[in-house]
Amino acid sequence: MEILAVLLLISAFLLTRTTRLATAVHILLAQSAVVAAACAVAGWQAGEMHMFAAALLTVVVKAGLIPYALLRLVRLLKREREVNPVVGPNGSSLAAVAAMVLSYGLIERALPAVVSRDAVATAVALVLIGLFLIITRRQAIMQIVGLITVENGLYLLGLSTTRGLPLIIELGIFFDVLVMVTVMVILTFRLKRSFQTTDTSILKRLKG
Amino acid sequence: MYELIVLALGLPVVTALASLATRRRGLLKVMNAVSSLATCGLVFAIAAGVLRDGPFAWGWLYVDGLSVLLLVVVGLLTFTATLFSVSYMDTEADEGHIRPGLMGGYWALLQLFAFTMLAVLVVENLGLMWVGVEATTLASTLLVAFYFNRSALEAAWKYVMVCNVGILFALLGTILLYYAQLSAGGGGEALSRAALEALSGRLDPFLVKLAFVFILIGYGTKAGLAPMHTWLPDAHSQAPSPVSGLLSGALLSCALYVLIRNLGIVTAVLGSGFVQAALLLFGVLSVAVAVPFMLVQHDIKRLLAYSSVEHIGIVSFGLGVGTPLALYGAAFHILNHAVAKSALFYLAGIISQRYRTKHVMRIRGLLAAMPAVGTMFLVAVLAIVGTPPLNVFFSKFAIVAAAFAAGRPVLGALLLLLLAGVFAGMMYYTCRMVFGAAPGGLAPTPPGACALAAVGLSLAWVVGTGLYMPPVLDELLTRAAAQMFAATGGL
Repeated sequence: MEILAVLLLISAFLLTRTTRLATAVHILLAQSAVVAAACAVAGWQAGEMHMFAAALLTVVVKAGLIPYALLRLVRLLKREREVNPVVGPNGSSLAAVAAMVLSYGLIERALPAVVSRDAVATAVALVLIGLFLIITRRQAIMQIVGLITVENGLYLLGLSTTRGLPLIIELGIFFDVLVMVTVMVILTFRLKRSFQTTDTSILKRLKG
Repeated sequence: MYELIVLALGLPVVTALASLATRRRGLLKVMNAVSSLATCGLVFAIAAGVLRDGPFAWGWLYVDGLSVLLLVVVGLLTFTATLFSVSYMDTEADEGHIRPGLMGGYWALLQLFAFTMLAVLVVENLGLMWVGVEATTLASTLLVAFYFNRSALEAAWKYVMVCNVGILFALLGTILLYYAQLSAGGGGEALSRAALEALSGRLDPFLVKLAFVFILIGYGTKAGLAPMHTWLPDAHSQAPSPVSGLLSGALLSCALYVLIRNLGIVTAVLGSGFVQAALLLFGVLSVAVAVPFMLVQHDIKRLLAYSSVEHIGIVSFGLGVGTPLALYGAAFHILNHAVAKSALFYLAGIISQRYRTKHVMRIRGLLAAMPAVGTMFLVAVLAIVGTPPLNVFFSKFAIVAAAFAAGRPVLGALLLLLLAGVFAGMMYYTCRMVFGAAPGGLAPTPPGACALAAVGLSLAWVVGTGLYMPPVLDELLTRAAAQMFAATGGL
């Protein structure tokens, strides 16, 4: 479990370094696969069948369908890359490290009774780094990647504090995430067609 | 009762699938109008059943006075939005704003949007409620983007990003609540409201407070409370007008409903002081933030959108005051605002089709150009700013009077002052638009009969319930207010 937590932190750290969209999606794929593994490990330790189902769903949805859709979209977006993000890769990496320290501190204070401290701290760090990516990245794809990183973090948080939500709610969440990515892929595609770019910093006409 | 709920949920889904299967515009219109009317009827039957037999609970389903109030709002607005779409979207397609081939998709999304809102209102479990709220965002995003021009895409992107991040905060809060439930011994079903309420004496107050903060931010974003309202003016102004009406009247209220349901657990653990203070703060802030934007707003639909922020703020304020009178006012205000504001968005749609602009300064002489529409617009604006004897006045009055009676004269006076600012802004622009001579070069097409019927129906409700409160409506509002009292007023 600790190894998986470290792998997840590395994946989040790498996300702050990359400016290529395809690389970011591949890192996301690896990250989701690790989350699935964590889910399976936790299920094996707890001896609960429904967590294996959730792990399988994670593999299918977050490591399968979503990266597939995003990679297909990236192939259409030739020559798009993250240029000139609000905070550059070096600053972002520094922020990621700060997020990790902050999340361990937060866990100490907010949830002292929690058993799997490393997993919870990793989850909070993933949420913070995902939010940071959404705020500082201009490419639509990068923002989607950030959003799914936040979702992965929350999923891990649920897993490590409560052994995951009941399966029916979990199913609903997976379905929502899948539809969410579909909708955002459609929007990104339309952005490319209307603006000839997927850099969202040009979206500033509506004001006041 | 069970059958009624399943039918009310199933009908929109079936209609959505059928809408995708056909390309004949006439058939689409008739089918969707009939289906929405039937859904509306089913919702009213559910309401009658709850008023007769009390709350209904079965498995994952739960319906009581508060859910019924919101069900009536969603059912009614879905029907008027569908009726309005019948002629409005036709004109949009004829004028080339929309590809006619996309109409099936429009109807399907509209029905799915209605389904997701109804689903939010009939489930008992807080986790499933979250799933439903997230689904409302997803169903409505493509509706917001439906014109697929640059501004619509920008609005839709901001909508989906801001609301998704917000709603993920709500998920975090929900997970924390579940953790609190497990830590307290975890009796009963996960995240079931009844189980959580039964456990409330043993839940860890710190965890619940942490969860409350995230839940308030999350669902507050979706409800359009300031300062999380930034997506709202964009999305409401760029969506097709029937969708704007649904977003503003029905969706914001649904998000607020989910917030109230979560608050039920929070107040049972923490008491009402903290919760009420937060609701009052967000309420006043929402009204205060909306006022300056309304005073200088030149886009008619953005003007109405900021008015929605203001009205959600008023409802939140009423919930924060927390006395039975304030909550009765809040329940009444949710209903009144939904009907009046959706009518205004429909009218704004008719007007912008005729004048070919949404710019307030270029719209003049409404009464001269379109006497019926101009009159209805004037009445609807008078209603929304709270002029007696229209129903919005009574709900606003109840909330403000309750604030004074509850010993919060400063906040009450502040709210009144802000409402005066809203009145000035709205009336100034309305008078500019309504009176004067009509300019030349207007689109020749008169508004369709269905569109006028949808607006007329809404306004009849606004005027009618202002003049006379039917006993059954009074009973419904009393029940809803009692549920809100249990949720926000503490024990």
